Amino acid sequence: MDLKDIKAIIDLMKKNSITEFELEQQDSKLRLKRGLNGGTPAAQTDDSVPMIPISLPVAAPSVAVASPVAASMTNPGEIDIKSPMIGTFYRSPSPEAASYIEVGSEVSPESVVCIIEAMKVMNEIKAEVKGVVTQILVENGKPVEFGQPLFKVRSS
Amino acid sequence: MFEKVLVANRGEIAVRIIRACKELNIRTVAVYSEIDANSMHVQMADEAICIGKAASAESYLRIDRIISAAEVADVDAIHPGYGFLSENAHFAEVCESCNIRFIGPSPQAMNALSDKAVSRALAKKAGVEIPPGSEGTVENEKDALAVAKKIGYPVMIKAVAGGGGRGMRIAHNDISLVKGYHTARTEAEKAFGNSGVYIEKFIENPHHIEIQILGDNKGRIIHLGERDCSVQRRNQKLIEESPSPLLENKFRKLRDKIGKAAVRIAEAARYTNAGTVEFIVDDHGNYYFLEVNKRIQVEHPVTEEVTGIDLVRYQILLAMGEPLQHSQSQIEFKGHAIECRINAEDPFDDFRPSPGRIEMYYQPGGRGVRMETHAYAGYTIPPTYDSMIGKLIVTGKDRRDAIDRMNRALNEYLITGVKTTISFQQAIMQDPNFRRGVYSTNFVEQLLGGARRELIEEKT
Repeated sequence: MDLKDIKAIIDLMKKNSITEFELEQQDSKLRLKRGLNGGTPAAQTDDSVPMIPISLPVAAPSVAVASPVAASMTNPGEIDIKSPMIGTFYRSPSPEAASYIEVGSEVSPESVVCIIEAMKVMNEIKAEVKGVVTQILVENGKPVEFGQPLFKVRSS
Repeated sequence: MFEKVLVANRGEIAVRIIRACKELNIRTVAVYSEIDANSMHVQMADEAICIGKAASAESYLRIDRIISAAEVADVDAIHPGYGFLSENAHFAEVCESCNIRFIGPSPQAMNALSDKAVSRALAKKAGVEIPPGSEGTVENEKDALAVAKKIGYPVMIKAVAGGGGRGMRIAHNDISLVKGYHTARTEAEKAFGNSGVYIEKFIENPHHIEIQILGDNKGRIIHLGERDCSVQRRNQKLIEESPSPLLENKFRKLRDKIGKAAVRIAEAARYTNAGTVEFIVDDHGNYYFLEVNKRIQVEHPVTEEVTGIDLVRYQILLAMGEPLQHSQSQIEFKGHAIECRINAEDPFDDFRPSPGRIEMYYQPGGRGVRMETHAYAGYTIPPTYDSMIGKLIVTGKDRRDAIDRMNRALNEYLITGVKTTISFQQAIMQDPNFRRGVYSTNFVEQLLGGARRELIEEKT
């Protein structure tokens, strides 16, 4: 990995108060972690093959689809549950029923966390992680896109 | 009128379609893979939806995700561009069944031209000559040898499901035929999921002449003249121009004949929307049908420049159910247009793809110069898709004027950070044979093999 890229990521982390960053690509893995006092991150890279240069995101256009959030605080040990498809996000199996999960709910890999509806088919989305839900990132009934973070889970 | 259109494509053609929509006051939705998040089409569209990971099979070819995106964004129609799902009849059917208009030919027209063997049979029925060859697919080695014996070597073995210049081999004798036959079938199965091959006579010094057609849903078809696409490298087009210097200089009457033949074939297939009928023309003025491309093509701007007609806008209007606004006699041709495809490839290293970050970018401009591109300074060309980063189209009052202008434009064009084929295109523009208009599909190989390297200056 290019030192220039690592420095750019570190700056981004500082700017957005992110304490942990992990990037896994086909041939390498980078993990950056910094102390909450703003100490310099310790970088470990697995550099068996040259990396593809990373292009850093420019300001995103305004999208009608619920956009991935402005930087939310990601605490150590927190993982995103991301949308595997495009559709409409629902928190409960039907309008009258209770939500599948709330903040504080415990989930296991097989737990259903939400429904994403596409083409009139209600798809149950599984957590695929074990832990406790710390944040719900999308409003009920809003559209979501592929890869969009839906929930934050503190993994155990 | 459509209110919203989803563009199921990427790169320069997605930008082209978005512009055409904007000019019709139609809102646009872009879909993109994760690696294309910073791509120009995403920035330009009114809305953008991520549909998967970088690999095309995980994103731009995912019918389910594209339809989901179309539903979530509540679009009226989808424009498929070229490549990807543009000639996928199943995708067109799914769109229709979801009440989304597919901006392209009807599924029925696509099925009538479903593969090259079927198309050839249709052309024959429409009274258009096809290159001498097998009737339909060749099922075994014995039949292959019999066909070759009948039509005489050299022959081409072609995959019925091939396209974009892929899936073709030449054989000069029985030994290379047998070897080529088996290899071609295996390759075809792997690349296209269909091992069917047919054999046709290899035309010496072939000229690739294609006719642009448009059809409405009342069965009316017109043609918009020819494009000469003979300058190719490994069956990939590099330069296209209209009118064809071959037809202009040698066979003036052929334009009308070939145009009418194209229309006959389109009518036989009940074709709708935009399409291109490809022909091979030999040095004696014999022309043979090759195939129909059931989509808008990369080189469509060449026709737009000499006819003054916006083809992508026409596609959208035709898809909305509008009738053709021009009769055949109202199509006029003025001037000469040339297009150079600009690829991120290193012409000094066997055209190896050169993805990466574009540092400096200055594109040519001025009178008679048109750029179709998604590139910009700071853009990172991903390694996951084809290497074409843009098209440079120039128009002049005649061919000489157009070539001089293309030279001027290529000279202005500055791209650093990645290797491009700009300097190679310059070498072609300065080649005496190209300038005389005397070239066939062998041209590039001869140029590369010859001692013309000194003409190719490295652009830094």
